[in-house]
Amino acid sequence: MPVAVAVATDWSFRAEDVTKVYKGGVRANDGLTLRIEPGEVYGLLGPNGAGKSTLVKQVIGLLAPTSGTLAIGPHDLVAHPEIARQLCSYLPQAQMPIDAFRASEAIELTGRIRGGDRATVRARTDALIDALGVEEWRTAMGLKLSGGVRRLVGFAMAVVVPGRLVILDEPTNDIDPLRRRLLWRQVRALSEQGCAVMLVTHNVLEAEKAVDRLAVVLDGRIVAEGTPSSLKAEDRGRLRLQLMLVPGSDTPATPPWLSSAVRVGNSLVTALDEAHAGHGITWAQGLVDAGIAEEYALGASTLEDAYIRLTGHVSDDDEA
Amino acid sequence: MIATLDAPAWAPATTLRSGAGYWWTGFTWMLRWHLSSLRMWLMLLVMIQALIGVGYVLGFALFFDEIPPAAALWVSTGVPVLNLILLGMLLGPQLVAGVKEQGGYDFLQALPVPLTAAAAAWYVVTLVGGLPGMVITLVAAELRYHPPFAISPLVVPVTLLIVFTGTMIGYALAHAITKPMTTQLITQALVFVAMGFAPILFPAEQMPGWLASVNEWLPLGPMATIMRDTLTDGLITDAGRAYLVVTVWGVACGWLAVRALGRRR
Repeated sequence: MPVAVAVATDWSFRAEDVTKVYKGGVRANDGLTLRIEPGEVYGLLGPNGAGKSTLVKQVIGLLAPTSGTLAIGPHDLVAHPEIARQLCSYLPQAQMPIDAFRASEAIELTGRIRGGDRATVRARTDALIDALGVEEWRTAMGLKLSGGVRRLVGFAMAVVVPGRLVILDEPTNDIDPLRRRLLWRQVRALSEQGCAVMLVTHNVLEAEKAVDRLAVVLDGRIVAEGTPSSLKAEDRGRLRLQLMLVPGSDTPATPPWLSSAVRVGNSLVTALDEAHAGHGITWAQGLVDAGIAEEYALGASTLEDAYIRLTGHVSDDDEA
Repeated sequence: MIATLDAPAWAPATTLRSGAGYWWTGFTWMLRWHLSSLRMWLMLLVMIQALIGVGYVLGFALFFDEIPPAAALWVSTGVPVLNLILLGMLLGPQLVAGVKEQGGYDFLQALPVPLTAAAAAWYVVTLVGGLPGMVITLVAAELRYHPPFAISPLVVPVTLLIVFTGTMIGYALAHAITKPMTTQLITQALVFVAMGFAPILFPAEQMPGWLASVNEWLPLGPMATIMRDTLTDGLITDAGRAYLVVTVWGVACGWLAVRALGRRR
């Protein structure tokens, strides 16, 4: 016989079978199902146009799903967008509109709008400014801030009074490597306090270090989901061979034991079995000698290789 | 994960906010947000408003060797309305369009503020930006023409109503139209129509009959009528219908604005 017991609310985020068809028939999300537990940092990876932003905009109530459900804890986000706005904190990919604000003021105002009390918001603002290494811009006007500092201030605004679900869309854009690490530390601090964190990015190498689990999204569908190591499992025993081609040269024909060759600019990324390492070096060195490639590198496969295999795209690892 | 006793004060809440306190927090802090974000512009805005108002008031006299007292009175009581319409319907939507263009619109939209509180905050911002210009315009008119003003206390609620209706029309347009460029074009066209084809600075009787009839149903002419009703004695004889038209437009556009603000595509 079932007995009613008081249980702590399960504050997980759930998307079930979310489909979004835009007017005109574009199917931006096609049956997306995923779950983010409290305390978990979950990466949503995929090339531009994969449908990541469409999902996010449905979660925060800017778009309505064509079908499917979205929920946090006991709350239905589709039926109650006003509740979604309380339960979610959102850092959009676009820069924040803070030209006329001092950095600390923008963070504090956002905290008060989100319902934090004066003392908590002030203390948290100071702590974030210190933790993100932007003390020297505390009273600078937004207009005067560099892109990276502005991004960090935007991050602080998004998390000063965090919701149960924190959505970060490309949070590290424009930020220098040192402060990226500071930002990731704060993301981890959020998850330690029970926030579910949704990290939207197309920077795979960075995501690999920051997330607990991730989904690879392509054409509105999840094509793979798991921990970074589980997604890499299929590439175990494989190596990546990357060539820098001479600018303007044609892509060389690849031997059959090289797989998933993708060229972006002058960089050609391929994968091969460990057993073929010797062949790979000989082949690549031959291209260098022939003046087709400038240099090459052979290394362990990364999450990037799994990503290339799944999506046929190279991620944007401008800084990793 | 279970929150422990040493969880920091900023840890995510487990309860939802609601009721009057939630509304008031959203309203006051959104208002603070807008006032701060516009502080570089607000002084400039007031100055431009005053310049437009004073310019119209003084400029109209140049049409005449000596301006007839009736014309002076119509202009003096019409230009303040033009001030308020310009602000609510032109500058308001253009500011929203500007935020859309810069990015960050989604961020503001995703903040936990009740839709009516967000609209109310925007209304108060418009009042702050519009009232000084209107007062300066009236003072300029008084100094230049000494028109027979008979200012009734009703001018306060009437001004609040005109600004509300103007702001909500602009706010509804700004949020309903996705493309910032389109918003700017439409609002600019509207303002030219307002100046040329609505009886704001002159009596409706001077328009073709059909245009005067159309204007009885539109908000701009009646806005001028009710403003005149509170600034003069005997110039307007029957303003009841005008009050009703402006109020209905205000309520309808307020409702549309809140709907447009909360609309999910």
